[in-house]
Amino acid sequence: MKKELKDAHGKRIHPYVPELCEQLREGKVDRREFLRTATLLGVSAGAAYGMAGKILGTEMISQPAQAQETPKQGGSFKVSMQVQEMTDPATYDWTQKSNVARHMTEYLTFTGPDNVTRPYLAEGWEASDDLKTWTLKLQKGVKWSNGDDFGADDVVHNFTRWLDPKVGSSNVGLFASMVDEVDTGKKDDKGNPVMGKRMTEGAVEKIDDHTVRLNLNSADLAIPENLYNYPTAIVHRRFDEEGGDLSKNPVGTGPYMLSEFQVGEKATLQRRPEKYWGDQPYLDEIRYIDHGEDRSAWLAALASKQVDALFEVDVTQIDVVERLPHAVLHQAVTAQTGVARMQRTQAPFDNINLRRAIMACMDHQKLLDLAHRGKGAPGENHHVAQIHPEYAKLPPLKQDYDLAKKLLNDAGYKDGVTLSVNVGDATGSWETDTMQALKQQLEPSGINLQLNKMPQTQYWEVWTKAPFSFTGWTHRPLGVMVLNLAYRTGVPWNESNYSNPEFDKALDVASSLLDVEERRKAMVTAEKILQDDAIIAQPLWRAVFTATDKRVKGFRKHPTNYDQFNKVWLA
Amino acid sequence: MLVFIVRRLGTMILTMVVVSILLFLLLEINSASVAIKVLGPYTSEEQRNLWLEAHGYFRPIHIRYFDWLGNFIVGNFGDSIRFKVPVGEILWPRLANTGILGLAAMAVVIPLSLTLGVLAGMREGSKLDRVISVGSIVTTSIPEFASAVLLSAIFVYYLDLLPGTSSMSDGFSPVQLILPAMVLILYDFGYVTRMTRASMAEVMTTHYVRTAVLKGLPYRAVIMRHALRNALIAPFTVIMLQINWLLSGVIVVEFAFAYKGFGALLLEASLNQDLYMIEACAMVAVFVAVITQMVADIGYTYLNPRIRFA
Repeated sequence: MKKELKDAHGKRIHPYVPELCEQLREGKVDRREFLRTATLLGVSAGAAYGMAGKILGTEMISQPAQAQETPKQGGSFKVSMQVQEMTDPATYDWTQKSNVARHMTEYLTFTGPDNVTRPYLAEGWEASDDLKTWTLKLQKGVKWSNGDDFGADDVVHNFTRWLDPKVGSSNVGLFASMVDEVDTGKKDDKGNPVMGKRMTEGAVEKIDDHTVRLNLNSADLAIPENLYNYPTAIVHRRFDEEGGDLSKNPVGTGPYMLSEFQVGEKATLQRRPEKYWGDQPYLDEIRYIDHGEDRSAWLAALASKQVDALFEVDVTQIDVVERLPHAVLHQAVTAQTGVARMQRTQAPFDNINLRRAIMACMDHQKLLDLAHRGKGAPGENHHVAQIHPEYAKLPPLKQDYDLAKKLLNDAGYKDGVTLSVNVGDATGSWETDTMQALKQQLEPSGINLQLNKMPQTQYWEVWTKAPFSFTGWTHRPLGVMVLNLAYRTGVPWNESNYSNPEFDKALDVASSLLDVEERRKAMVTAEKILQDDAIIAQPLWRAVFTATDKRVKGFRKHPTNYDQFNKVWLA
Repeated sequence: MLVFIVRRLGTMILTMVVVSILLFLLLEINSASVAIKVLGPYTSEEQRNLWLEAHGYFRPIHIRYFDWLGNFIVGNFGDSIRFKVPVGEILWPRLANTGILGLAAMAVVIPLSLTLGVLAGMREGSKLDRVISVGSIVTTSIPEFASAVLLSAIFVYYLDLLPGTSSMSDGFSPVQLILPAMVLILYDFGYVTRMTRASMAEVMTTHYVRTAVLKGLPYRAVIMRHALRNALIAPFTVIMLQINWLLSGVIVVEFAFAYKGFGALLLEASLNQDLYMIEACAMVAVFVAVITQMVADIGYTYLNPRIRFA
């Protein structure tokens, strides 16, 4: 287990802060950015100034010796990644789709590799005290690639289409506080009214050409973070009128334009000739090349210098990357995880003693070591990661087979029980490895875990229905975001059918607190309830990896595998 | 002969119809599942119903089948879920790519395996025969995924001689064809060699070859004029069947080297539940299988007078 970091006053320091100090020391971030990020991570302004002074005061003398390389303009940057259709950003269901589009269409906010959300197309935002009203101030002087000015009409149009059920966007769930449940006027087979979701009237309001107000039905702390979720790229206000297909009509505000696009083969982006509204990017061209589903082929492409970077490197490929003389391995600390979730509405998982017996068998550090080579952090069965700003540390979980056997006995399984868990390997083979490791840990207690391996697509068809499944969850910058998505009563992605009013109430409180320290206190209750109800066995948090050629500079791996190469250059 | 061809054609059409019914029932009978595949797993029931209604999925199943079959016959396979373009736009170029790879492999396999097979079969039990036979067995025994890894390790990672993938993203590059073709050659030449050797060895023991030798004809003339033609009948059928194997058997090779061919397309379509693409690929694969089988049968009949006039 990683030791919790504390400052001189015994106050917890966010785990990212030491890395941030390192970046300041190495000149990767400037003083201003350091202060801004540190304070967003919960460090007091005084302490942040103190840290910066200490680092720069001692290191400034040696700074010339560590002079940074001057970025070079130009070059074609080749990345191995699946090239998928990218018709409508609002309906994206794979990060890869958004990675090509992210260089053309942009977002209102930007959550960086450091997990901090900053202004982007929105130059700033204000939230009301009750977090129900959010006012977004938009950048001025931003031009679409077709010459139009970007403004409030574009943003209003995007919110309206995201929340229109005909579009089919997952943003309906993301902005649930802007949606009403209404009778569609249709009846199902049993004659019951079919309900649907519609945007609440007045939920999006244009104040002036560069100001938009969101009026929510309930408090939502995560609006800025949600606005960088990959299906929230802002398209032009006439996107639908002009065909509704980004790959055929690639109009965006970003620094690149699509010059070539073939699903399953390649996507080429060329730098726009006119001046970009933000910092000018360095690369002339970005090329995504599809090498299929086989990660060995991706690595072979890097090994033979056919590409400069990979979308992702599997944890099992790290050794090979490290032996390539021209390659650099990149790692991101993430809140990506997998949860073996149990539906307590279905037998035998309606028995809390059985669920708790499973938890009692787990040694999270060993699971991490066995299944993911120790790369990441041990899970804590509550789906809030150490890198989430509001993470609250609970007493450590201990493996206890005596307790597990007693709980199994109480559950009526004196002679043991056989359980079957669905595994889809949707985020990689580490999912199967993790369940294999869990199987080994469950065996001494008398629980025989059988793995039901399924094709990825088949897995997603039943992921919210199966009684016991291991689901990979991607990184989200805030702990409350993922708890709201996955464990609140009745939400679409509540795959465990979990419903606990006390938990919902605790989550309401946490979600309504802007102050990180206060939110952290409120999270203790929410995390504890999830642990006590034992609905998820969460073995680990996984680090993610990628590799680039040594000539690639300015590259940082994003914890959500998002690409944005505005600061990347080729030596 | 004409009756034979007509009969074969009839069987071919019947096979295609049965396969089409099976395919349709397997993939399209559950319309809710079709909507999930097309719209994705995160969509609501309301969204799926709207789509099903718009695409005629609430009509009776037999009407849907005949409608589907009619579209298939005129080459309208529908739009690919993954590629978002008509299936044909992707399918035909991919089929051509596999054709190129197959051609490259066969251009080496056929002369190499026929030569080696004839050389081995000419003198059964000789040292040369044993070397060729053992070599053929060893290469055929190595599965394609293993030889792909092995060849990559040698030529990409160790020697740094060849490109590791064959995506042809910068246009056609013959050098990118080398590794996938090598894997196919390694796997396939041994099989054809063994078949040719067996056929040649059998011919060499026939009375007419023995008579030709005994009557004093030069050995070369015996082989070229009498033995070879008869010995090549069996390999002809085997080679014809390799075309069918190449179409779906190259999946592993295309997958390993990211070659954009028909095999990789079939796999991608299956992994991505690209329903209409799977249907079209399956029908094309079956069509090629029955056609090559028919051509092999006709060719065999033509080459072997004992069958032709039976």
